Amino acid sequence: MSYKCSRCKRDVELDSYGGVRCPYCGHRVLLKERAPDVKEVDVE
Amino acid sequence: MDLRVIEKEDNALSIEIAGEDHTFMNVLKGALLETDGVAAATYDMNPEQSGGQTDPVLTIKTEDGTDALDALEAGTDRVIEKTDALTEAYESAA
Amino acid sequence: MADYDVTFIERDDTEARFLVRGVTPAFANGIRRAMIADVPTFSIDTVRFIENSSVMFDEQLALRLGLIPLTTPLGGEFDEDDTVTLALDVEGPETAYSGDLVSSDDMVQPAEEDVPIIDLKDGQRLELEADAVLGYGQDHAKHQGGVAVGYRHLQRVEVVGDRDEFRDDEPEIVRGVIETEGGELVPTEEFDNDLTERYPDSEVEVHDVENAFVFDVETDGSFDVDTLVQAGIDSIRGRAEELKEAVQL
Repeated sequence: MSYKCSRCKRDVELDSYGGVRCPYCGHRVLLKERAPDVKEVDVE
Repeated sequence: MDLRVIEKEDNALSIEIAGEDHTFMNVLKGALLETDGVAAATYDMNPEQSGGQTDPVLTIKTEDGTDALDALEAGTDRVIEKTDALTEAYESAA
Repeated sequence: MADYDVTFIERDDTEARFLVRGVTPAFANGIRRAMIADVPTFSIDTVRFIENSSVMFDEQLALRLGLIPLTTPLGGEFDEDDTVTLALDVEGPETAYSGDLVSSDDMVQPAEEDVPIIDLKDGQRLELEADAVLGYGQDHAKHQGGVAVGYRHLQRVEVVGDRDEFRDDEPEIVRGVIETEGGELVPTEEFDNDLTERYPDSEVEVHDVENAFVFDVETDGSFDVDTLVQAGIDSIRGRAEELKEAVQL
């Protein structure tokens, strides 16, 4: 799962063992980025 | 435009005109009432609120000597004439 | 046979007011309805978002994009459900406008260049591709070419005597276009819609003129007024012809 650390702005990969914590700065607030896929929307 | 004849006699016609709405039906009805030999013309359509729009049913009654189907054709001719006349009038004013 | 007479009162590319004499209410209403619902225009129908880091959801932006009027040639160049692709790429700090849309077809362009889509702050970016389709106002209001189409009876104003000297000073409001006894056509805005402004000393009577309708037509810029009126009339004509053929079989 790819996240972005809200303090040091670096990309973070989380696995199921490390818990929620940035491995670079130790910050515990991580943001989920929007998926890079193209999203198709119908106009309603 | 799919047509379904519901009732046909010499001087009466009841026909369902699929895919049309008030826009055309009222113009057609108005034109039919101005057509020679037509005694009565009306159309019936369920309102949107009563479970969706049904296709309009046009009913024509004609005077003796006029076939109802011919009257319908004359009515459409009259609509075409009206549109042509209006186009002409609009263009000459524009 | 029907003898129509058309007189223009105001005339512009996208807005016009004209009087039609000799037209039945049924026919007038048919044309009005046809202009609103049965004249097709291009409008954005699907949007592919490549990047949207703006503050609004993709769906909200898609709705806004759908409402941008696009120029639509009606000369048979396009059929129903034909697609034209438009692209947009704007990076903040900047406002994305309809004019930033780049079309794949010169004939189908945003009718207005300055419709704001969204204000982008520093670091925000909007990149998308949109497919516009030719559709009918019947199916969605975004496909309506006529945005303000209506008509009123022409009203004839007759002077029937002098105004009572001690009468209450009440306004007499009329809206639309009046015909004076001299046959002059006057839009009521010219006298603040108030007959006492134009006829301060006279008692007047107002009557609708039978079969004379003043049409107000305004388009969204997809095409000019003449095209819209003509297409509305042709739409009725086309259906009459189709029915005629079906009856003959």
